[in-house]
Amino acid sequence: MIKITDLEKYYKTEEVQTIALNKLSFEVKEGEFAAIMGPSGCGKSTLLNILGMLDDPDGGSYLFNGIEVAGYNERQRAKLRKHNIGFVFQSFNLIDELSVFENVELPLIYTGVKPAERKERVHEVLEKMQIMHRRKHFPQQLSGGQQQRVAVARAVVNNPKIILADEPTGNLDSSNGNEVMDLLTELNEAGTTIIMVTHSEHDAKFSHRIIRMLDGQKVTENVLV
Amino acid sequence: MFRNYIKIAFRNIRKNKLYSFINIGGLSLGLTACILIMFYVSHEHSFDKFHEDSDDIYTLRAKALFGGDTIFVQNFSAATGQMVQENSAFVDDNIRIFQEYKPLIIKRTGLEPKSFSEEGFFYTDPNYFNFFSFSLLKGNPETALKEPFSLLISEEMANKYFGDENPIGEILQVEKDSIYNYTVKGVIAETPSNSSIQHKFVASVSSLQKTKGNDGLFNSPIVRGGAFKTYFKINDATQIEKIAETTNRLSKEGNSESKDLFFLYPFTETHLKFSRNAGIGYLDVFPLIAGLILLLALINYMSLTTARASYRSKEIGIRKVNGASRKEIAFQFYIESTLFISLSFLLAGILSFLLKDFFFNLLDINIDTAFFLNQNFILTLALIFMVSILIAGMYPAMVMASFNPIENFKKKTRNDLGGGLVRKVCTTLQFIIAVILIIGGITIREQMSHLQNIDTGLNRSDILMISLEKSMGNNIPAFRKEVEKLPAVKGTSISGYPLYGGYDMFYASSENGEPMALPFISIDKNFFDVLELKWKLPPEDPFLPEQPKKLVINETAIEKFKLKNDPRGQNIEMAGAQFEVVGVVNDFHYSSLDSPINSLAMMVSKSNSSINKFNSGSLYVKYQKTSSLPALIKSIESSYVKFDAEKEFSYQFMDDAFNEMFKSEQRLAHIFNIFVVLTIIIAGLGLLGLATFSAQKRIKEIGIRKTLGASVFQITSSLSLDFLKIVLFAIIIAIPIAWLLARNWLENFVYRIDLNIWIFLMASFATMFVAVLTVSFQAFRAATSNPVKSLRTE
Repeated sequence: MIKITDLEKYYKTEEVQTIALNKLSFEVKEGEFAAIMGPSGCGKSTLLNILGMLDDPDGGSYLFNGIEVAGYNERQRAKLRKHNIGFVFQSFNLIDELSVFENVELPLIYTGVKPAERKERVHEVLEKMQIMHRRKHFPQQLSGGQQQRVAVARAVVNNPKIILADEPTGNLDSSNGNEVMDLLTELNEAGTTIIMVTHSEHDAKFSHRIIRMLDGQKVTENVLV
Repeated sequence: MFRNYIKIAFRNIRKNKLYSFINIGGLSLGLTACILIMFYVSHEHSFDKFHEDSDDIYTLRAKALFGGDTIFVQNFSAATGQMVQENSAFVDDNIRIFQEYKPLIIKRTGLEPKSFSEEGFFYTDPNYFNFFSFSLLKGNPETALKEPFSLLISEEMANKYFGDENPIGEILQVEKDSIYNYTVKGVIAETPSNSSIQHKFVASVSSLQKTKGNDGLFNSPIVRGGAFKTYFKINDATQIEKIAETTNRLSKEGNSESKDLFFLYPFTETHLKFSRNAGIGYLDVFPLIAGLILLLALINYMSLTTARASYRSKEIGIRKVNGASRKEIAFQFYIESTLFISLSFLLAGILSFLLKDFFFNLLDINIDTAFFLNQNFILTLALIFMVSILIAGMYPAMVMASFNPIENFKKKTRNDLGGGLVRKVCTTLQFIIAVILIIGGITIREQMSHLQNIDTGLNRSDILMISLEKSMGNNIPAFRKEVEKLPAVKGTSISGYPLYGGYDMFYASSENGEPMALPFISIDKNFFDVLELKWKLPPEDPFLPEQPKKLVINETAIEKFKLKNDPRGQNIEMAGAQFEVVGVVNDFHYSSLDSPINSLAMMVSKSNSSINKFNSGSLYVKYQKTSSLPALIKSIESSYVKFDAEKEFSYQFMDDAFNEMFKSEQRLAHIFNIFVVLTIIIAGLGLLGLATFSAQKRIKEIGIRKTLGASVFQITSSLSLDFLKIVLFAIIIAIPIAWLLARNWLENFVYRIDLNIWIFLMASFATMFVAVLTVSFQAFRAATSNPVKSLRTE
């Protein structure tokens, strides 16, 4: 599903150039649940941004479903992204001015789904995430766990092939964190590929494989299953 | 998607009340100014366009050489129109209009007699309703003006004289030299405010022919100047030169010595070109300034919206991550701008409607409310609306759409994402405009006050001018005597005209000089004392000027007519007779300050009534400064009505008559004052918004500084300084621009002020004051906030 080869990314400031990704290569197969771990600044988030097509690499190859996307421009990336990728962030990233229903509805709007179908699909996913009763509330009115469930609902409402999760439990207490991990596991079991960046060994254990990084390079790879 | 955008826009408006208030309030104010100004300007440009054939109608004008002066002739002989039409294939129709330039006494006889002094009395040809698009509510437009002494009256007059009764067939007595009975043949719908022809009474032109003393108006069988405004309806606009040539030829055929140069002018442009009220020069300036004010408000909107961009960056990031394209984000912000502008437009519409009477009163103009529905005005509004959306929406949409989602997520602090430099440029631009307008406002004010306080060579204070009509007749001496008996009255004088209200012109020459036009007024001997005129060369015998065929002249006349330094005893030939100069007064302003003082001849009459034998005149009453004016006016009025029961008592202060001459400048000054206040409010609001934003943005920095021991003053000044630097920079740029503009404007005046440095200093100081007040208020609030709280928000 995803294959990166010798992927490179640099950040330049006026005086120094920092290497964020240094000839990184690995593959994630369809239906896999992969965890990426490593200390702060090792390039995990940069990697996730490139995998999520929010950013473009400075070198190397990125095959998505067999298509080379490394040279895509913003418009092309946006098009591919909205049909294939769902995101879950540590800080939930819900729009404060929109209700739970409207937040979850957002990706469907941008893929041009008709209003009646949107309503049906949003309700379906909210039921599944057990936050249907909160659909008219605004993000500030929800607990952290509930907010993250809304974020997960939003990530999956478009039935993406892959979900990229950036420390999804980082802002949650353990019981809420576990709930979210259970949700991701369920989604994975239903066929969705998941790549998760995490600091938590506990969370990483939910995955099939752990890729450990340091200074922009892959250090080890542990298969858990 | 659309609904989603509208929803989020509304929620944002509600959530950020201060920003919404500044944005919508500022835009509404700018738009209100723009709407009202455009309303006025469109109205001025719409004059006479409501006539169906307006594009085909031309008015006849001529330039006539009168001695060394060129005079514009707008009235022609009775024969002119018809002769030109008969000799030019390009003229389809012509019409003549004669307007009574003095009020007439009109009386309804019968059961309930009513008598009023009326203006707006016209005589015209029977094709009036065919030629123009005035509508007749009652009566037959084809025949109504055929018979002599047929009269059409406006709806207002019909109500005034006849109330609910049917006026058709009723008699109205019109008093001129004699009393004439006119039969009302119809009622005309009220003329719109954008008509240059404002009739209240329209009589058949044949009535004029049968009116005593007016038969002479019809005697001249040639093309020449005369008493009738003459209009043509032409069939080929490219041939107006040809028609003018034909007219010139006919004029020469009638009088081979004629040097008159005839030309045709489009009827729809005559108001702007020739009307004294139009003030065309400023009409071009108003939309420009209204546009600047609107631009200022739009800049505020743009600059505040992008300043707030960092608050919206997370939302934009999320939208992008969830599939929104750049185009969709840009579209969303365009929708938001459209919503803001629509709301502001709505509010501005309501404000304009509420403020229109105040605004029109201030400018002393009268516009029908129905003009709000004028097609061109509505089109102008639509254009302003579209341009506002385009300008205000574009930049924020571009800035927002170009955000990089990862940057947005990564940045934990609320950094300045949306074009800090552009915002600085915008604020600078705003303050440049503000300073220019303020300097403009002060300059206009100073120039007006300069004109009003200029030494005009006479003392016009504490003088009332009471109009005397023919209807007072031989009662004038008795009336004057009664007025003079009032304890508050210091003296009186009689003149053929109210001062600044006109004079006669004669073709005159001396033995040495070329013949030229000589302004002339009839006065009595008190004139010099009442106006406190200074004698340059007094008459040798004080009673000499009252003798027949004697003249008093001013200094300029000596020079213009090449008279001796002491011209007493020399003759001036005027209207075919020799007049002896018996005295010379120092120059004084007796007409508009647009041009330098011209020569003047004054004939001093012994008899009160001879002065207004042919004209109505004016009684000048000089009163004690300390007297109670309402009581004085009341006493004069009660004497007046004893001697003239027909013409309403009317008076004017000489000071007011003088100020009346600067009407269009005064209008400009009023509009400018409004503009200046608006500019300061809008620019101030913008600065307030930016300062608030800046303080919020730097709240962590302020917290850290305070923790490390910075004082409130240090923080306030560090926050304020950035903005004040911008304002100072704007002032430096604005001053030379304003200086150039003000100098150019002042060149229109013969008597003008020097551009003093204090004008610029005052404007700079005022701007700085507003800026310091706005910015430091916000900065102080931020500086006094609790650092623990601000650090915790991070």
